[in-house]
Amino acid sequence: MSRLLNRPLKAFALYALIILVISIPVYVLVIDYIWTSELDENNWLTLQHTKQRLQSKQFTQAEIENINHIWGELQPGVSIIKVDRKISFKDSIYEAIRPNEFDEDDGEDRFRGLKTFVELNGEPYILTIETNVEESDETFAAVAGITLLFFIILFIGFILLNRRIATKTWQPFYATLRSLQSFELSKDSSVHLPSSDIQEFQELNQSLLHLIKSNVNDYQQQKSFTENASHELQTPIALLKSKMDLLIQQKDISPEISELLNSIEAPLSRLSRINKNLLLLVKVENYQYSDQEQLDVKEHLDSTISLFEDYLNEKQLQLSNQVKEAIVVNANSFLVETLIQNLLSNSIRHTSKGGQIAISSNGKSLIVMNTGKESLDQSRLFERFSNTTKGKVSSGLGLAIIREIANKYGWQVGYSFENGFHIFTVEF
Amino acid sequence: MKILIIEDEQELANDMVKYLTNEQYLCECASDFHAAMEKVYGHDYDCILLDLMLPGGDGLTILEELKRLKKQDGVIIISAKNAIDDKVKGLKLGADDYLAKPFHQAELAARVESLIRRKQFDSNNLIVQNELSIDINAKAVTVNDQPLNLTKKEYNLLLFFIGNKNRVLSKGALAEHLSGDFADMFESHDFVYAHVKNLKRKLKEKDYGDYLKTIYGTGYKWER
Repeated sequence: MSRLLNRPLKAFALYALIILVISIPVYVLVIDYIWTSELDENNWLTLQHTKQRLQSKQFTQAEIENINHIWGELQPGVSIIKVDRKISFKDSIYEAIRPNEFDEDDGEDRFRGLKTFVELNGEPYILTIETNVEESDETFAAVAGITLLFFIILFIGFILLNRRIATKTWQPFYATLRSLQSFELSKDSSVHLPSSDIQEFQELNQSLLHLIKSNVNDYQQQKSFTENASHELQTPIALLKSKMDLLIQQKDISPEISELLNSIEAPLSRLSRINKNLLLLVKVENYQYSDQEQLDVKEHLDSTISLFEDYLNEKQLQLSNQVKEAIVVNANSFLVETLIQNLLSNSIRHTSKGGQIAISSNGKSLIVMNTGKESLDQSRLFERFSNTTKGKVSSGLGLAIIREIANKYGWQVGYSFENGFHIFTVEF
Repeated sequence: MKILIIEDEQELANDMVKYLTNEQYLCECASDFHAAMEKVYGHDYDCILLDLMLPGGDGLTILEELKRLKKQDGVIIISAKNAIDDKVKGLKLGADDYLAKPFHQAELAARVESLIRRKQFDSNNLIVQNELSIDINAKAVTVNDQPLNLTKKEYNLLLFFIGNKNRVLSKGALAEHLSGDFADMFESHDFVYAHVKNLKRKLKEKDYGDYLKTIYGTGYKWER
């Protein structure tokens, strides 16, 4: 994963590098061409000048030989040599690599020479002149060096510019990103996105605000629906329960009716539990139960265990409570109690008869293990009504409540399955 | 003994009247805030069952008014809100008990009984049922002057039965009374059988009459 602005930076840098690398041989060729053509011109001028002077002075053959000797001594590569036959040739250019006594590095230098035919005293002579030329590889090294230097300057420039652009131009984008990162649908009702003078960002922000607004509305509606629905259900449930109590007081109830009445009780109490749990979830979501106090989780755990004693005995469950030291948290007492009751009742309900439940702690967490057959679907386990197990009485909300309460205080809830044990952990 | 039921849900109020009314109790109803205030100003009650959400006003205001008037009426808050805040607030304002909706009528009856008993007998709180006597303060039970050793749960059940004399109590109501609000978290309440069986056995051992009847399929009944 790379950052947005580093992508074009990489591309730009790579492009600049390719162009600059290609430019190196081009520069070398151009420079070499300019060099050689200038030198050829220079050689030709010198030669013409020399030719004219030689012809106008009427030197004897001995003098010419003397000149050649002295000249050659003074300036190597220059010669005037008599040829036997009168051969007519055009001026010719040649290139030679020869040792140079003054070159201290490698002793070899490139020379560019020009030969021409001259007639002195009726005798044919070849006049040669040479000039030292910079070697191509030296030109290449210099050009490459300079190009590299410029590339580095260019690259540093890119980075600096990029930073400047990032902090200035993209600033509204990053501000929007931060706002969105800290936005929570369940907590915030709106989000503030900074305005920008860049059209795309402004459009982005407006689209986001629109999206968030409609989501928040949907969420609020859903939440108030749950709340209203469960409030509305409370009275009919209370009435049903109360009518049941009156109904069983009737005299001469036949065994069939009594059986039926008995079987109504379980679904009715489940209905009542679901409704209670829904209300509780809504309240936790709505940030009720705001008062907090320092309390010991262990105390709540111990009292819950003794309250659930009958249910443990009924299913012949072996419970070992290894929590020996206080687990002090800052939270609402009712919610901590609810969390523990749900955690424990969940274990009791889902452990088959004669199973084991083990509760332990490592100071800052509570671990509840119970025997089970196979791992549960972790991804949906804490969702509402996920129905991972087909419990008859389960409200389908117990684990959702645990997670909701944990979320409220920033606690971590985890599940794993090891060695035939379901393991639920709450990190306080 | 007079009981005032302040409850806006007429049906539920009627059920409470039906269940609670017997030779001992006389029930009156008020279905809104003003009717309730009128009754509270005009009469004294042994027990007031107070719903907090009322048309015309907040039930807690009635409670405050009662305390301001220094009335001795016992108050049990029955609220659909089931909010822990209401419970704490209500009890702080001087309510004697709190019962969250939905509740079993049997639970309500037991709470009313217990409240009235507390109000009536300040020091010597003794329940006498034929050969059985229960010293509430000492939590001691005797049959024919012989001490009866009961577990905490058996003792609670005994009081619950006595608070609901001649009424059929369902297993669910008994379980809820013993385990509290979360009884409905569990599918089976078979442990109730065990506790009732033990209680019956212990009573029988002390030659107490067979007042505790099992009603086939539905539950139990304390007949007197």
